[in-house]
Amino acid sequence: MSQVTEVVKIRRKVLSEIARMAFAGNLKENVEEILQTVVTETGPRYRCCVHKERAVLKDRVNLALCQPINTSLAISAENALNMEFADIPIVSVLPEACDQCPIDKFMVTDACRNCVAHHCINSCARKAIMVVNNKAYIDQSKCVECGLCKKSCPYCAIIEISRPCERACDLEAINAGADRRAVIDYNKCVECGACKTACPFGAIGDRSVIVQLIQMLKNSDKHIYAILAPAFIGQFGLKVRPGQVMKAVKELGFYEVHEVAFGADITTIEETKEFAATVPAERAFMTTSCCPAFVGMVEKHMPEMLEQVSSTVSPMIATGRWIKNNDPNALVVFVGPCIAKKAEAKKYPDDIDYVLTFEEMTAMLVGAGINVSEVEDDGYQTIASRDGNAFARAGGLVQAVVDATAQMAPDVVVKPHRSEGLSNCKAALRQIKDGKIDANFFEGMACFGGCVGGPGTLSDYRVTSRLVDNHANTAKITASPENNTAVEEIKKGDNWHHGH
Amino acid sequence: MKSLLVEVCIGTSCHLLGAQDLLQAIEEFVPENQAKLDIRGVTCLKTCGRGPNVRIDGQVFTNVTPDYLIAVIQSYLLQEEELLCPK
Repeated sequence: MSQVTEVVKIRRKVLSEIARMAFAGNLKENVEEILQTVVTETGPRYRCCVHKERAVLKDRVNLALCQPINTSLAISAENALNMEFADIPIVSVLPEACDQCPIDKFMVTDACRNCVAHHCINSCARKAIMVVNNKAYIDQSKCVECGLCKKSCPYCAIIEISRPCERACDLEAINAGADRRAVIDYNKCVECGACKTACPFGAIGDRSVIVQLIQMLKNSDKHIYAILAPAFIGQFGLKVRPGQVMKAVKELGFYEVHEVAFGADITTIEETKEFAATVPAERAFMTTSCCPAFVGMVEKHMPEMLEQVSSTVSPMIATGRWIKNNDPNALVVFVGPCIAKKAEAKKYPDDIDYVLTFEEMTAMLVGAGINVSEVEDDGYQTIASRDGNAFARAGGLVQAVVDATAQMAPDVVVKPHRSEGLSNCKAALRQIKDGKIDANFFEGMACFGGCVGGPGTLSDYRVTSRLVDNHANTAKITASPENNTAVEEIKKGDNWHHGH
Repeated sequence: MKSLLVEVCIGTSCHLLGAQDLLQAIEEFVPENQAKLDIRGVTCLKTCGRGPNVRIDGQVFTNVTPDYLIAVIQSYLLQEEELLCPK
């Protein structure tokens, strides 16, 4: 997320207000106030009227409370406070917010001069183009969206329009429904969140459990741990130190705060073992399994490739297991840049209890009145390796496994290849399979830039990638196998793999 | 010439509402003006929730967008120029 647009601001204000009320203990009484404070009568107007904006806002509040869209806010608030999680999809379209963008793919603009040659009319095999009012006109009932007219026009007067959500989705999982509102096909969706970032109306959102979590933090006698994805580095800007973030998060009421980079070391060691044991003996190549949207894509769109996906658990799951192995009274909250992790956590309810994005966590900090930039730096020193920390950015995983292989199985040859973006991953996987790319280890990342480019981040990934590397270089150890705590943890039991 | 003091709040609330975009806008602002500015990050301007906030020459502006910030800075610089060389 590079730019904080008005849509992003509204979403964040909703989350912060809800968190503030939940911490103050007056959410149920005051939840309706959000409709008055976030959208004001005099404030800037983006839609037809204040009533429409408040209707949209109500959808947002319900989603932020993890309740069905049409619930009245007082009931939603009560349900959320009573720890109820409605069984709604992780990512959903807010029907009120969706602007029902045009679905006609090709449109003639005013640049059309009604020229003599009429290449458009001649190029159209369906005879869908005629001249009306001295301008070319496309009969949408005949148009088959082949695009030849667009190519043929010497003035570039015919434009191709695509919906931002559709264009953002590499897996064709979002389309216009019967009423032209966007509809997500959950058989295809892998919760990557690309559509959410792309929609300029903010009509797609992910469900949030901040209120339920705040209730737990306030009332539960369990040990609630926060585990921060390696991409947390740099999320609060250049000046805020990692130690300040760790301390600030703890002040929310967590028992302890840990880095998922530690789990990344476990993942690297296990993945390297798995690679050395199975490639090329059992399979020609192996892919990573850390990115849940990438794994989801293989599961839903290329199931024939599932055998190539590593069975090693992700750093999130590894960190959760590490904590729960050592503290039976633990609840684990993963905080990261990712929406798809919310779906991954659902598959592993024993390991991870809640998932937040950095955006949600920051809204909680604002709601609790904690200003990270004013929190004292506790001088936190990473307990993970440099390679574990570098998981946050694209290429980090490849580097980690290459370094680990050099130490653990020096005779094994790793020929890595990596891609960012789901359609790039898909294409690369096919090419590796067909032998067009000579590789035996593939890193697949759904987001550009890797995790630092995720939909739940607060800072531009080009900046944070650099900061992640700077931070990784402060680690006392370089490669994952040198992390003795991780090695000891692995020795305790062999539960770092899963079946697909 | 005294430089214009621009204090951008980088506290968590303002950060969440886009303070980084403001810093970036200033960074991309024409270089000859950069020398006339004294840019500082501050941790709170006590107007949280209405952010992002910026204090320019002692005056606090709330709900600042990048375009608005540049416009305000330009008007301050223009004023100063007119004081130095009145038309």
